[in-house]
Amino acid sequence: MANVKLPIGPQHPALKEPENFTITLDGERVVDVDIRIGYTHRGIEKLMETRTYTQNLYLVERICGICSYAHVQNFAQNVEEILGVQITKRAEYIRTLFLELERLHSHFLWLGVAGHEIGFDTLFMYTWQDREVVQDLLEMISGNRVNYAMNTIGGVRRDVSKDHQKKVLDAMDYLEKRAAYYKEVGLGEKTILARTQGIGILKPKIALKYSAVGPTVRASGIAMDIRKDDPYASYAETPFEVITTDTCDVLGRIVVRVLEVFESIKIIRYLMKHLPPGELVVKVPRKVPEGESISHTEAPRGEDIHYLRSNGTEKPERYKVRTPTMANLPVIAEMLKDSYLADVPIVVAAIDPCMGCMDRVLLIKDNGKKPGELVDWDRLRAYSNRWYTQKRWKA
Amino acid sequence: MTTTEELISQVLQGVPVQVKREHRIFITVPRTDLIKTVNILASELNVQHLSTITARDTGFEFELLYHFFLNGVVITVRTSCPRDDPTVDSIVKIFPGAVLYERELHDILGVVPSGHPDLRPLLLPDNWVGGYPLRKDWKPAEGGEE
Repeated sequence: MANVKLPIGPQHPALKEPENFTITLDGERVVDVDIRIGYTHRGIEKLMETRTYTQNLYLVERICGICSYAHVQNFAQNVEEILGVQITKRAEYIRTLFLELERLHSHFLWLGVAGHEIGFDTLFMYTWQDREVVQDLLEMISGNRVNYAMNTIGGVRRDVSKDHQKKVLDAMDYLEKRAAYYKEVGLGEKTILARTQGIGILKPKIALKYSAVGPTVRASGIAMDIRKDDPYASYAETPFEVITTDTCDVLGRIVVRVLEVFESIKIIRYLMKHLPPGELVVKVPRKVPEGESISHTEAPRGEDIHYLRSNGTEKPERYKVRTPTMANLPVIAEMLKDSYLADVPIVVAAIDPCMGCMDRVLLIKDNGKKPGELVDWDRLRAYSNRWYTQKRWKA
Repeated sequence: MTTTEELISQVLQGVPVQVKREHRIFITVPRTDLIKTVNILASELNVQHLSTITARDTGFEFELLYHFFLNGVVITVRTSCPRDDPTVDSIVKIFPGAVLYERELHDILGVVPSGHPDLRPLLLPDNWVGGYPLRKDWKPAEGGEE
């Protein structure tokens, strides 16, 4: 039998989402970073103008596979605001439960990715195993592990039973123990400290200058959290703290996310113990009167803002989405400036880029005097782990 | 206690300020006053966070909405530019975080932010020749790459 050639990449299901970083280097030092996005642009905003509000619920949910609920929550809030609909308290509590379960699984996922990027794959295996506990809860209640299809305009589509409440609470006990373990490991393990402490510095002034969002700014000591600043769903009546650290480095971004896991557990416990009785859905008309609305939520990665303009028909006139990763892209360049090439994977991972972990990196060595060399992300990660074991420890 | 709305009315004398609901304020200015208004918001109210910029084709002009965030209030500055002269001053010098949002405007709607340092395509391919997809008169059949 003749040999079969199997092409893999640059676009391939086994690779993460595509994106292109052009890094200018002076020796080992990063001089400049240029980011090219758009490889996965799907034209959702334009597409939404041709679909009804009900159809759009499921389209909006597919903007992202990890923080899908933050998007569909924004969409529902926008439409409900223009319709003048107040949903029931029970529906609000169930929505908040899903927003926080989503934060839990997203933060566990990120912790694993961060471990993977610094060559600490045991952490990756552990956290992704624990993330399955959250995924099972999501599946138990909604029937889906991702893109839960829980929200509808006017409420939620599925109920949380007494049995569900007990199982969620049991799972929170387990996850709290695991999070305590990660806190201990994250703050005490030499490998993690060596690779993250003082790396990828983002001063508060720079974070504000570029309007960055989410755990990225909270690790620079800025207490910006839409859940507290402009409460939506049932956050106004749910007790929780906004977590900040002032170390401004990658370690700080780990600490913020791990501590936020505890806060999410606290919120979920409160919701499950105080779940009010009531209907799930309020009936709403198919046509939305002329109007406009802005809604923003604190997605796991930061502020996610949506704008809706309606025109009296059953389809939106204009829908605009700005995801948290877009807001955090400009600060990546600032965080990487003057750092070592070996720190690039973990610094980029530390903003938790959603639309693309990159598939290719173009290295321009010595300020562009020599031609660029195309390197893929796996090679860069291997390089950075090798560099740290060989060069730094001996120095 | 002075509310954010009262503060805005004080610093922006004569500019219509509309409170749509709690936490949502809209300010409408002509495009010639955009930089002046944004400057006042930044310097006198200490607005530091630009959430994003929304642009919309109304059929006869392009409406631009600059969403700022201050003390739990989304402050939206609304301005517009005619379709036959789609330019607006760039606010990148005041809010460097606008750099990608203005590139997006240019990319998908064809609004030129004058004074922007880098207007390469952001979302569309580098070799895109199919016009501006978010314009209402754009048809998917027009889209394409060289």
